[in-house]
Amino acid sequence: MSFQAPADGVLLPPYRILDLTGPEGVFCGKLLADYGAEVIKVEPPAGDPARQRPPFIGDEPGLERSSYFLFYNTNKRSVTVDIESPEGQDLFKKLAASADVIIESFSVGYMKYLGLDFDSLKTNNPGLIMASITPFGQTGPWKDYKSTDLISLAASGFMQITGDPDGPPLRQGNEQSHFPGSQHAVTAIMGALLYRDLQDGQGQYIDVSMQEAMITYYTDAHPALAWMQRGENVTRVGTNSTLVIPLGAYPSKDGWISAGIITPREWENLSNWMYEVTGNEEILNDDYKGGNQDRAPYNDIITALVIDFTTRFTSEELFHQGQERNLVFIPVNTVSDLLNDPQLEASNFWFDLDHAEVGTLKYPLGVFDSDEVTPVTKPAPYLGQDNDAIYGDLGLGESELAALRTGGAI
Amino acid sequence: MTNQNKPLSGVRVLELGPYVALPLTGRILASLGAEVIKVETNKVLDEMNFIPAWSRGGGQPEFQRGKKRITIDVRTPDGLEVFKELVKVSDVFITNFRRNILDRWGIDFPELRRLRQDIILMWQTGLGGIGPYYTYKSYGILVQHMGGVSLMSGEEGEPPATINTSYSDYHTGVFQPVAIMGALLRRRLTGQPATMESSIFKSGALTAGPAILDYQSMGRVPQRIGNRDPFAAPHGAYQCQGDDRWCAIAIQTEEQWQSFRQVIGNPDWCSEDAFSTMEFRLANQDRLDTLVGEWAATRTAEDVMTQLQDAGVPASVVSQGQDLYESEHLKARGFYQPTPYYLADRSNPAYEWEQFEGIAAANPPKMSESPMDFGSYSNIGEDNDYVFKEILGMSQAEVDRFTKNQSLY
Repeated sequence: MSFQAPADGVLLPPYRILDLTGPEGVFCGKLLADYGAEVIKVEPPAGDPARQRPPFIGDEPGLERSSYFLFYNTNKRSVTVDIESPEGQDLFKKLAASADVIIESFSVGYMKYLGLDFDSLKTNNPGLIMASITPFGQTGPWKDYKSTDLISLAASGFMQITGDPDGPPLRQGNEQSHFPGSQHAVTAIMGALLYRDLQDGQGQYIDVSMQEAMITYYTDAHPALAWMQRGENVTRVGTNSTLVIPLGAYPSKDGWISAGIITPREWENLSNWMYEVTGNEEILNDDYKGGNQDRAPYNDIITALVIDFTTRFTSEELFHQGQERNLVFIPVNTVSDLLNDPQLEASNFWFDLDHAEVGTLKYPLGVFDSDEVTPVTKPAPYLGQDNDAIYGDLGLGESELAALRTGGAI
Repeated sequence: MTNQNKPLSGVRVLELGPYVALPLTGRILASLGAEVIKVETNKVLDEMNFIPAWSRGGGQPEFQRGKKRITIDVRTPDGLEVFKELVKVSDVFITNFRRNILDRWGIDFPELRRLRQDIILMWQTGLGGIGPYYTYKSYGILVQHMGGVSLMSGEEGEPPATINTSYSDYHTGVFQPVAIMGALLRRRLTGQPATMESSIFKSGALTAGPAILDYQSMGRVPQRIGNRDPFAAPHGAYQCQGDDRWCAIAIQTEEQWQSFRQVIGNPDWCSEDAFSTMEFRLANQDRLDTLVGEWAATRTAEDVMTQLQDAGVPASVVSQGQDLYESEHLKARGFYQPTPYYLADRSNPAYEWEQFEGIAAANPPKMSESPMDFGSYSNIGEDNDYVFKEILGMSQAEVDRFTKNQSLY
């Protein structure tokens, strides 16, 4: 148990967290590791399959070069163990006895099949916290359903409200199913640690369904409430929202710009500005004045007028000049824009991490900024790099480790 | 004897601010046992009371359950004094007002720290607390564009696809409780408080993911590829019978492909060389999608999903509101729960609003020993008496006077 003060400038105590997750939970361990927990990635001897995922840094395949693996495993340590072999299971049990938290995302029942489920592991470690992050959770008729990023985006309903009304439901970029389940799991893990260490509690088991977590990431669209109260299904609205009008992404002189007019005052500012620029009196029509829903009947007309306006400016012009008029125009960025953004540069968001094989790259680590605490800045681990140190601390001698290596358990 | 404590028993959180991310943070902390006091005023209502427009106030339990809700107009001298008394008895203060506004109200961070030396401050911003845009106003629903995700979403050659929700807000809203709980642990262990600033921009930009590293390495910018995947085919949403009904199918392995063939009756095209390996299926996916689409089009989305899942093939209906509301799976897990709500009305104070019944989602994590509370639901200002009299020890006469002069209103 590691209920001890965090190092100077670090947020979290050095809690030992064993990370057995795949894509479903990889971000959970990353967030805990970035803020100071001792997160140990427990990999099969051949390595986490994520190490094989292209693209590789420099387009050169290699176990230490996957951009995906490097991104999601910052600040973690790595040990190898074959949890399907009896020797490996014994070793894992020793490791689990030293852990504060275990996170896993295997198919429901797999850990029990191996004899490594929560009830078995807690007998040697009553303070143990174990969190499972799975597509549909540990109970219910869909618990054994197979999933992928696309399937989770579909099952949660994300896709139902992403895309054009005349086209198919669409997937969001960069596997957004990685985030909601992992983030909710971290809140529960933190809660469980506080419960154990500050409230005289025991360890506990945490079941997170990615489907449920993802449904809570678009709450303001209220799909279930809309069905319950109106018998209607919310659907896709293209690049422009129906929650607020006007709100969405519009073409500019040099790309895209997004804008949102939420208060009556903002509409007054925008309509006056549009009139100044275009000379079109239509925009001053009294029918269009008011709060964010008052323009709903005129969405098409207003969108056309907004586009006539936005296409006369560059995205940067609208972003900055909008703020001078208390209006929100927000750039539509891609990764190169992010890496060059002066605000992110000033916000302690990017950290240069030196990795012996792929060199120095900028990683986004600073979700919160603080004078008192900063993220830890180690790159993703080499496969099994901490076997000797971590297993050595458990009391395994060199000869035992050598035997496990020969037998293929680590 | 079972331990009746909650993870955050004894922790008091003071919340000041509207919209999505900040109230969500408060709700999560409340569900873990914190006493969350939400400060609002009838004079300026959170616009979220009017979203969704067809159920004014029906969306608020999702963000406000479990809180003690009080009315203070911090812009009035009496209101400000009462607010400062609350700061003195709080462990955590969370807000999403811009710094210049907090300064104007006289509740800048040095002042808050003076009032309560060990308070934990979580300041949520749109674009950032320092740097060139620190005074800029923003809305979370637009930050999905700024964070880089929308330009990776959508069909090739089409505009960026937007998700019709304040998407990036949720990342911030769920990150913040983690930082706050970390800071509470750290305060207990080191005696030191913390001031933390989060931004919706940063939360959103983080979700741009590994493409950030690939750009630095190879100069590649992610492209929009619809529902396709670089490693799997068939991979997409296929239209089925019914109104706007779709089923997503994602075949990642040879075993799943073989199972898929069996489910669809192994038609002749499955045996063509063009589809014999994943590499070939990826190369010929235009035609593959047409053929899979023809099979799906004659079936219901539920049929497609059930048949494929029964054979171990990843598939799901693209869930609509009806699917979620009626889902046997979500019901078995107790996901949606009934809740009262109050019909928001700008022309009357909240205590005159009419009560209705709606639903709200449970907090997703299921914790075996200290379950997250669904909590009770208060209307705006409903907990004034408890907070002003029991916590602050104000007299009835004082509360009445400040209510009458609209300071506690």
